[in-house]
Parts: sequence; structure tokens; C-alpha cells
Amino acid sequence: MDALTAHLSELGHGLVTTVELTVVTTVGAMLLGIVVATLRIAPVPLLRAIGTAYVEVFQNLPLLALLVLFVFALPTIGITFPLFTSAAIVIAVYEGAYLAEAIRAGINTVGVGQAEAARAIGLTFGQSLRHVILPQGLRAVIQPIGNICIALLMNTSLAAAVGVVELTQAANTVNLIEAQPIAVFTGAGLAYMLLALIIGQVTGLLERRLAIVR
Amino acid sequence: MSILKMSFTGRRSLALTATAVAVALAATGCGGDSGSSAPTLPGNTGLGGDGVIAQSVYDAAPVATDADIPAGSAMDAIRKRGYLNIGGSLDAPLLAQQNPVSGTIEGFDADMAKLLAKYIIGKPEVKTTTIGTQTREAMLQAKSVDAVFQTYTITPQRATQVAFAGPYLTSGLAVGVRKDETSIKSVKDLAGKTVIVGANTPAVTALPSAAPGSKQIAFGTDPQALQALLQKRGDAYVQDFTLLASGAKANPGMKVVGEPFTTEAYGIGLNREDTQFKEFVNNWLKKIQADGTWAKVWEGTLGSVVEGGAPTPPALGSADGS
Repeated sequence: MDALTAHLSELGHGLVTTVELTVVTTVGAMLLGIVVATLRIAPVPLLRAIGTAYVEVFQNLPLLALLVLFVFALPTIGITFPLFTSAAIVIAVYEGAYLAEAIRAGINTVGVGQAEAARAIGLTFGQSLRHVILPQGLRAVIQPIGNICIALLMNTSLAAAVGVVELTQAANTVNLIEAQPIAVFTGAGLAYMLLALIIGQVTGLLERRLAIVR
Repeated sequence: MSILKMSFTGRRSLALTATAVAVALAATGCGGDSGSSAPTLPGNTGLGGDGVIAQSVYDAAPVATDADIPAGSAMDAIRKRGYLNIGGSLDAPLLAQQNPVSGTIEGFDADMAKLLAKYIIGKPEVKTTTIGTQTREAMLQAKSVDAVFQTYTITPQRATQVAFAGPYLTSGLAVGVRKDETSIKSVKDLAGKTVIVGANTPAVTALPSAAPGSKQIAFGTDPQALQALLQKRGDAYVQDFTLLASGAKANPGMKVVGEPFTTEAYGIGLNREDTQFKEFVNNWLKKIQADGTWAKVWEGTLGSVVEGGAPTPPALGSADGS
């Protein structure tokens, strides 16, 4: 336990970075997810193709490979982002593919009649999406979205491999000094568990408030 | 014309999957060329020529007598098993790097492990488990490996968890910079600079006191850290002198400045309870230091990038914690 208590400030900084990374990427991935899910159901074939290609590419590449590519390959063609920004972009883009699929599943639960009715009263594609389809579709998949957010939280630990000092990297550094991996990583693991439980609680609350009972 | 039905057309999505896979493969292939920078991987210069120990060194290396290996000891178990199970690395040039052609692991640490195996078993049979620096203590405590040969710096804190035979090698942290860098001449010039370090290396803890006010960025592996230096993510790279020297030899874009500013004593990590095994390994180290085997291993590996002859081997037990 001393190994943990003696390094609370380092671990605390790491925890804050993990929370920041999770919040930023969740917001980014959610926006991307909505856009990509919309592309996948758009009436224009080219847009649907773009949406499908996005999902297939990013669901079929390992996140770590994407991170390493983004951080080390882009600078060779002259594009360099700060490390935190790099990690945030890559994780958001990657998780956006998973969220897009969850959101699309939600959209598929909305009855065809709803879309037809929206069109019948003269709403455009964008309007029917905004006012009819998405509000119902999103509320149907709150739980799956919550699960993806928990996976996203766990995936932020991969940012440690490309130099971002989040919770896992902070735990690594503390362990380097204290040489007590079991105590240090159990502590870090419990912190991740706590964060995941919070996401789960929030999701449950939203689910109870918003879900449409059919 | 439902907006909900149009997204499912089997044939089209199959074609798109194929395209996506092709894109993915192209992306990964690109990474192999530029991302991890395979052609400039430090240490490759040593493969085939220097960096490899002559077979005669193994042939001449000592073998323990039966009296040295009591029945029921850890050494006895290793001899019966037929190979030494060690924890180490495959990506540390000149220390323990796997030769992509022959598959054998070459370098100072790897050769020391082979010589210990020869001493116990009579032939240099080693099985290497690649382990992260985070889990060395846990692996030794659980007896998942017999010993750790991985530039394992002896520290008093670590010595409360594991036993260290040795030190078997000393080195120190030094500063690497890009070739065109002129303002950094030693560690003293690092104040206020951004410094790249290897995650889980002694640099992480040594830098704040050696260069107050410097900012750290840590990368998981040595090739990544080198790449980050060349891509100007930091002004300098602080790492063990031997690793920097081999990096500089392979990468014309970087150089090593100043002398090492710390002294790192590397030990062979062993299970803390087994004092008999530690004594046995220390006796073996004494033997190979005395008969010149140690110097031959050093010259064949690290000596291929460091000027001057083999240094005097470190005195056993000289590091705090060994």
C-alpha cells in the first residue's frame, strides 16, 4: 500500500489525464458516430459507401497500430500533432466506428412507418433524421453506447505506448521506482473499475429516464 | 424509398469490405516502412559481422562440477529440465536482439544467459520469455522464469522484492541529440528542454535531479524513442550510453554528447528466497570474469560500438542492493 500512497500526486495526475482523454474522445466519437451512422443510411449511394468504408477500416485495424502509425508515420510526411491531441484524435476516430454501428442498430429499431410519416408531412432527409429518427434511435441504444464508452475508457490506456502520461503510464513510472507491480497495478485497476462503474451508473440513469418502452 | 432499408445490399457491402481490407493493408504496409523505421533499426549493423560471439567462446566457457549442483536445488531442476528459462528482451540492440535470419538472440545479456546455461547444463540452451519491465518482479516471485537478464538496474527498492546476482555490467545514462543540435553539450544543458526517455528506464527517475526543469516524454521502446528524437518531438534523448551509442551508429541523424552522468549497475534478477542460487550465480560470474570470458563477450557485443578495450568488470556486490 505504501507504494501507492507515496505517489498519490503522480497517480492523480495520470487519473485526471485518463478522465480528460475519455471525456474528449467520447464526445468526439459520439459526434463522429452520429455522422457515420447517418452516412450509412443516407439515400445517396456514395455517402453510404463512405460510411461503410469508414466502419470497416477502423473496426478492422488494431487501435495500437493506428496510434503508432499516427504518432510515428505522419511526422515523416511533415504532419506532427502534440501527443495528447494525437491520442485523442485516433481513439475518437476508432471508437467512432463502433458507436456508429450501435447508433445504426438504434436507427433500425425505429419503425419504417415513422420515416414514411416524416416524409409524408414534408420533412427533408435532414429534418426527419433530426426530429424523428435520431431522437428515437439513440434512446433505444443507450446501454450499448454505455458499454462502448467503458471499452473506450479501457482503450485510453493504450495511449501510454505513445508517450501520453495517463493512468497506466503513471502506474508504470511509479512501479519503476517502487518495484511492486502487484500493488501498483491493482491500485490502477481499481481506479479504472471505479471510472467504469461511474459510466455504468450514468448509463443506467439515462436508460431509466429516456428509454422508450415498446 | 425508405431511408431505413437502403443500407443493406449484400453484394455491395462485400465489395466494400474488400476495399477496406486493401486500404488497411496499404496503411499497415506504409507503417512498416516509415513508422517503425525497420531499415534504420539500431544494431542491425552488428548482425552478421560484429555483435556476434565466436563459437569458441562458448566452447571454452566453464561448466559447473556436480559438487556445485546439489540435488534438489534450483540448478539441479534446470539441469534436469535441459534448458535455462530466462526473462529478457528481443529488441535491445547489442544487449538482446533477435537475429531475423537465424532466429538466435544476440547481445551481451543474451550471451551471458547462454553462458550461464552452459555452466549449469553443459550446453548453452536458453528459452527466452519476453517480459515487460513492469512484470519482472512478479515473474521472479512466481518462479515463472529462473532469472532475468534485461539490463535490470540494481536498486535498494527492487532488492526488497528480488535478489540480484552481480552486478555483471555497469553503464550510465547519457544524452543523445540530433546531429545538427549545437546548444546541448551535456546533461546540464537540458534545463527547460523537452527530453525523450524510454518508459520504465532509469532516465525517468534520474532526469528530474540531473536536469531540473526539463520536460519528459516517455516512449515504450528504444526504436520509438529514437524515431521521436529524429522527428523533433523532443530536443534530446536520455538513455543508457550503450544503447545510445548503438543507435547513433545506425542512425547518421543523431549523435551522443558528453559523458554518462549516472552509474547504473545491472544485476541478474533472481528469486529472492533462493539464496543458494544467487551464490551459485555469483560464483559463476567470478569464474567468467577471471578467465577472460566476460571480456570476450563484452568485446563481441557492446565493444563493437564503444571505443577502447573491454572495461574492468564490476566488482560483485558493489551495488547497493546486490
